[in-house]
Amino acid sequence: MSNAVIRKTLISLAVAGAATLAQADVVIGVAGPHTGAYAAFGEQLWKGAEKAAMDINAAGGINGEMIKLVKADDACEPKQAVSIANRLVDSDDALAVVGHFCSSSSIPASKIYEEAGVIMVTPASTNPTLTDQGLPNVFRVCGRDDQQGDVAASYIVDKLNAKRVAVIHDKDTYGKGLADAMKATLNSYGVKEVMYEGLTRGEKDFNALITKIRSVDADVVYFGGLHSEAGPLVRQLREQGSKAIFISGDGIVSDEFVSVAGSPEYVDGVLMTFGAPPTSYPSGKKVIQEFRDSGYEPEGYTLYSYTAMQVAVAALANNNLDPIKGAEWLKSHSIDTVMGKKDFDDKGDLTVSDYVMYEWDGQGKYNVVE
Amino acid sequence: MDIVLQQLVNGLTLGSVYGLIAIGYTMVYGIIGMINFAHGDVYMVSAYITAIAIAILTFFGIESFPIIIVGTLFLTVAVTGAYGWVIERIAYRPLRSSSRLAVLISAIGMSLILQNYVQLSQGANQQGVPTLLTGAIRFSVGDGFVQITYMKLFILFVSLLGMGILTYVIQKTKLGRMCRATQQDRKMASILGIDTDKVISTVFVIGAVMAALAGVLVTLDYGAFDFYVGFIIGIKAFTAAVLGGIGSLPGAMLGGLILGLSEALFAGLISSDYKDVFSFSLLVLILIIRPSGLLGKPEVEKV
Amino acid sequence: MSQAVGINFKKSSIDAFIAGLMALVLFGPIVGVVLDGYGFNAEFGRVAWIVAIVAVGRFVMSSFMQTEKGIALAFRYANNDDGVTVLPPGHKSKMVWIIPLVVVIGLVLPFVASKYVLTVIILGLIYVLLGLGLNIVVGLAGLLDLGFVGFYAIGAYGLALGYENLGLGFWSMLPIAAIMAAVAGAILGFPVLRMHGDYLAIVTLGFGEIIRLILTNWASFTHGPNGVSAPLPTFFGLEFKRRSSEGTFHEFFNLPYDSAYKYMFIYLVLFAVVWAVLFIKHRLVKMPIGRAWEALREDEIACRSLGLNHVLVKLSAFMIGASTGGLAGVFFATYQGFVNPSSFTFFESALILAIVVLGGMGSTLGVVIAAFCLTVLPEMLREFAEYRVLMFGILMVVMMIWKPRGIVRVTRTGFSPKKGVAK
Repeated sequence: MSNAVIRKTLISLAVAGAATLAQADVVIGVAGPHTGAYAAFGEQLWKGAEKAAMDINAAGGINGEMIKLVKADDACEPKQAVSIANRLVDSDDALAVVGHFCSSSSIPASKIYEEAGVIMVTPASTNPTLTDQGLPNVFRVCGRDDQQGDVAASYIVDKLNAKRVAVIHDKDTYGKGLADAMKATLNSYGVKEVMYEGLTRGEKDFNALITKIRSVDADVVYFGGLHSEAGPLVRQLREQGSKAIFISGDGIVSDEFVSVAGSPEYVDGVLMTFGAPPTSYPSGKKVIQEFRDSGYEPEGYTLYSYTAMQVAVAALANNNLDPIKGAEWLKSHSIDTVMGKKDFDDKGDLTVSDYVMYEWDGQGKYNVVE
Repeated sequence: MDIVLQQLVNGLTLGSVYGLIAIGYTMVYGIIGMINFAHGDVYMVSAYITAIAIAILTFFGIESFPIIIVGTLFLTVAVTGAYGWVIERIAYRPLRSSSRLAVLISAIGMSLILQNYVQLSQGANQQGVPTLLTGAIRFSVGDGFVQITYMKLFILFVSLLGMGILTYVIQKTKLGRMCRATQQDRKMASILGIDTDKVISTVFVIGAVMAALAGVLVTLDYGAFDFYVGFIIGIKAFTAAVLGGIGSLPGAMLGGLILGLSEALFAGLISSDYKDVFSFSLLVLILIIRPSGLLGKPEVEKV
Repeated sequence: MSQAVGINFKKSSIDAFIAGLMALVLFGPIVGVVLDGYGFNAEFGRVAWIVAIVAVGRFVMSSFMQTEKGIALAFRYANNDDGVTVLPPGHKSKMVWIIPLVVVIGLVLPFVASKYVLTVIILGLIYVLLGLGLNIVVGLAGLLDLGFVGFYAIGAYGLALGYENLGLGFWSMLPIAAIMAAVAGAILGFPVLRMHGDYLAIVTLGFGEIIRLILTNWASFTHGPNGVSAPLPTFFGLEFKRRSSEGTFHEFFNLPYDSAYKYMFIYLVLFAVVWAVLFIKHRLVKMPIGRAWEALREDEIACRSLGLNHVLVKLSAFMIGASTGGLAGVFFATYQGFVNPSSFTFFESALILAIVVLGGMGSTLGVVIAAFCLTVLPEMLREFAEYRVLMFGILMVVMMIWKPRGIVRVTRTGFSPKKGVAK
């Protein structure tokens, strides 16, 4: 039993006893890179969580108590992630955390949440290690890199019939994890990659690497990484006259991918794996419309973050605000979210992976590949 | 064969970019002996101004490449030059008489300020500029080909031109003489009637202008940047400056070219994972053999 | 003498106008034109505010600088005095009571502070260690080292990988990591120590980067960017986990489980180590080797002509500094429970250097204060959320301009030859 819970209960008792109108808030942390190089993703997380909290509060909150969000910035640095995780569980008495974004932050922070008995639902950390640690309180509403890699690899082998695959990654937890997962499945199909190399994040000149891709005569280039590198990479690939098919993962799901690549013509035909489109869930239509009405396009992880908040709230609401029981409860119940029904397995992963292949067109939009 | 030649071309163009930015480091170091850590971020600011200038020009319906490039260059160089001047005025001049380390910390602080100020005003997202100049010259070699894009040719041309003008200014003009005098002995120069503060300001402006030049060209070529882009390229350019012998103008260019070539060749022929390890090891090796860089003057030890 | 100092408002107005114009040029494009894809959104209102604030600020400042107080301030500013304060021989500090006081406060602290505060203080102490280590290299021996983070990484990964591959725990790795870092310092130091100032700086920077790149790329050994988990310290074999086959701390002492115990324990061990390092450093400075470092920093040629082996002296500084960095790395790894290469970037080296310089080069007390400032400050600035790092940068610049020699000035007690020994 965590201190936080005892304190919470005491406070709510005291409030009830005093019969005032003031309500004890349920604190939920939203942890992610709100500053630094990944701040754009941090904003998606915050927007999604904020909207979810507003909607839930408007509908009466959690068992009558209002949600209070705490913004926790880790800048995607493990050091800061540990520090704010301690702060969330200790000073802010958070009962649940939506976050973190980067897997390298989520992994060290998850241990602190486990010790404190706080539910952690990450909307974006796809690295398998996170849930493979076997912590009882960790959940994710996104897929795992190995699932994503599977989808990409079978597409490459079955649909594209490609024999010469170059695998590039950005040497980061997410990018390399994804590339490794894809490579493993690819090899299990009997296709050996012709090239496997990393590039340095933050650099923009990949010409040397691309000349090398040209020299191995690859017909598919698989990239594990984010759009900041994928954009220049695909552009320079086309500039050097390569016609290889470019495939990547959910790290390039952003309109910025097009502007970074220099022109929509460069992203034409680029393939990527990403969760089934949120619009395909009837339950999400209303929320998406409300986002658009407020002038914000719910891109990338926004709805994942909304979903994560719903999962965390469901766990708390059905278990008298006890996060430890809530975590156990989540593993045997399915939750209705804006992205459909979600079920978790014993590790805290989703039971169903919903990755599908998308293709970018010449107008800079992406659509599901049938 | 075509691949090796192509990697040489890749290395040369990358190297000329490093060289262009390295000049800013080397000039400032040459005159006042400080490492201007904020220089990479000045480059970053110029990348933003480039994109802003292009956005404004296209907003007014200007489509032709020459007008856009000239307009962008003019605007970017002017504004970035102003940044160079103000940064020197605010963060470095008050520390003129302090230890070099104090200035170094101030420069690191300045670098943080620039990054976060740009992030706060422009947002953290990745930015891009539209492709303005496409196409390339191709030579067939064997059954493959070697190509150099027009943009890369343009970069090579402008950086050589910039280097040439700068060398002329430093070697032949009155301003250049004042710079060199200040470099040799600041106290003596000021006794002889040179306004050393002004000279140092000018040097910072020139450094910023060179960074702006690189900012415009590289941004047009790669198309992508964010508020963090100055860090890696800044470190690389600084390495290039030291490699060539910090304080020496041709050294900066030579260092840039060597660094660019070594990166491209190592990444292309061996492994791109370890290319930075190779570059830094090369640097250490060269400095062990020639402790003041390739073209640097050995320090005279005075008693 | 009491000639009235009139304020020339015309001059102030011109100053303000120029400053405003400059602000318009600087902030106009970046603040006023926000990029959106290939287009932009105009935000001229923000620019107007900034320009107005700069112009008014400049006007007020310009006017103030013409008053008597302002002139006095500018005068004091222009005459920054120099260097080390030398105390008379046999000087006894009146502050002797402060050390026991700090020790008592430090010992009581973990039992009263909340877990969050405790973790921030642990981080502060880790930076104290790092600062002390680099202070020996930069502050005392005058060798500009921009790659100190490399030794820190060796310590941290030493614990994590030592545990994973050899089963070595915290207590065995603590000395081994220090030795490993010292050896790395020697390997790096030997070839490069004949270089001068800034060349040394870039070589050490390169070394730090090489270490980080190897940690990232050599995935089969270091697990690359995924990082490695690091073990917690044990209390005479008892673990601080919720449950363990080896026996746990809270079960042994019949306490309810609380994750704060492990932080308390790490804190206490760290606290002891910091004091040990402080003591060692305090003694070293007074020993011939410490004197040699400082002498070498001041004038290398004079030292060499007096027969001092400069390579050996520099190398000893490098190795002792590195081993302290290694110690800090072990604590960092155990505190975080996980290490990955992103904790060991160049920015970290810059931060440690900032601690040494801000604290006042060579001053121990200054390093301690600065380390806490630089780690606690960003946490306190969290209230400013996204303005946090900006504020941090501004503070760094302002601090340097305000006190270029650091917070605490170096003091050394002077010596006088004993009577009868030398004539």
